[in-house]
Amino acid sequence: MQIDAKEYENASAYKSLIESYAGKPEYLLAIMQDMQRQYNYLPRLAITMIAAHVGLPVSRVYAMASFYKAFSLTPKGRFVIRVCDGTACHIKNSETLLDQIEKQLQARPGETTADGLFSVETVNCLGACALAPVMVINGRVYGKVNRSDVERIIKEYGGQSDAN
Amino acid sequence: MKITVNGQEREAHAGESILDLCRREGIPIPTFCYHQAFGGQGACRMCMVEIKEDGQSRSRLVAACTYPLTKTAEIITESEQIQRIRRTIVMLLARRAGENPLLEELSRAYGAAHLPAITVEPANCILCGLCIHACAEMGRSAIWSMFRGVDKRIATPYDEASDDCMGCAACARVCPTQAIKVEEEDAVRKIWNKTFALVSCSRCGKYYATREELEYLSKHGDFGQQQLCETCRKKNLAYNIKTFQQ
Repeated sequence: MQIDAKEYENASAYKSLIESYAGKPEYLLAIMQDMQRQYNYLPRLAITMIAAHVGLPVSRVYAMASFYKAFSLTPKGRFVIRVCDGTACHIKNSETLLDQIEKQLQARPGETTADGLFSVETVNCLGACALAPVMVINGRVYGKVNRSDVERIIKEYGGQSDAN
Repeated sequence: MKITVNGQEREAHAGESILDLCRREGIPIPTFCYHQAFGGQGACRMCMVEIKEDGQSRSRLVAACTYPLTKTAEIITESEQIQRIRRTIVMLLARRAGENPLLEELSRAYGAAHLPAITVEPANCILCGLCIHACAEMGRSAIWSMFRGVDKRIATPYDEASDDCMGCAACARVCPTQAIKVEEEDAVRKIWNKTFALVSCSRCGKYYATREELEYLSKHGDFGQQQLCETCRKKNLAYNIKTFQQ
């Protein structure tokens, strides 16, 4: 299994996080959530370490990690842009927001920019339909946004204006 | 305990499943996800039967493989309703494994409508879960069902060669649709993106197992010691019985 060299540097940090929990299968989800919060994704090395700690096969830990949307198996950017694509936002043209983001950052939903600054995701509903279309960046909500708002907001976070 | 199956009285052990009773009595019930080594999973729903237990006024549908018999009951294994359920299951699974002989045959037998095929990975996999059980039973658990919904599939972590896989191919052997690819050429076996060296039988010379498998087995009993293929092992046993003297 190929593991990124950077992950080995973090190995002791993973270890102390994992060992703050008892080595029982029932703590699997809690450890994974903690790891996700800490690193914005589940590093490969961490997955094998978690499996060994709770005494489950790696395949089961990976199965769980791949099952829940709350977990990411690839590194996420520093800023995670979540664009709502629920019914209300969809009708209010959330597609345009994604278009604008792609134009500016060259990243489609599920992707991370090459500089590791932004990740783009869609969510099915944020429960803020009155503010449609809604976009959330690292927990901060932006409601009733249009194309030029998106451009301005992304620039605030250090993204480029239109690349072309 | 008296159980009436399709109008005929049978004797069941307390707690055994409807499927176990019917298999023993030679009453056919179709299954995909059942294997006698692992018991019922209740996943494929092919084995649905109608049951009316003592004290119940009408019959209901249950999965025969997981339903334990605890009191006198009447069971029907073939009816219009059951037929309809099985037809739907076959119709849906045939989308995943349309060219598989088993599904082809069942589609014909149940008169299932033909729906456009969908591409699945590995091809023909119907997600019955038998391979997961086989691998877990071997004590390895190299594979599991990954992702979910329409993306759900059986795989190794990261779709890469797994340290837990010993190439025994137990998963491929229990697969009802032969969906798990095992490539064998001379002394090499490829399975789940991993390559294994094969060991040959000490008597007939046939390549029969991977080195990893024999090492693992020798740690868990004396299966691996003689290095005999299945055929030679049987011959050996037969010879031992024949020449056995008290």
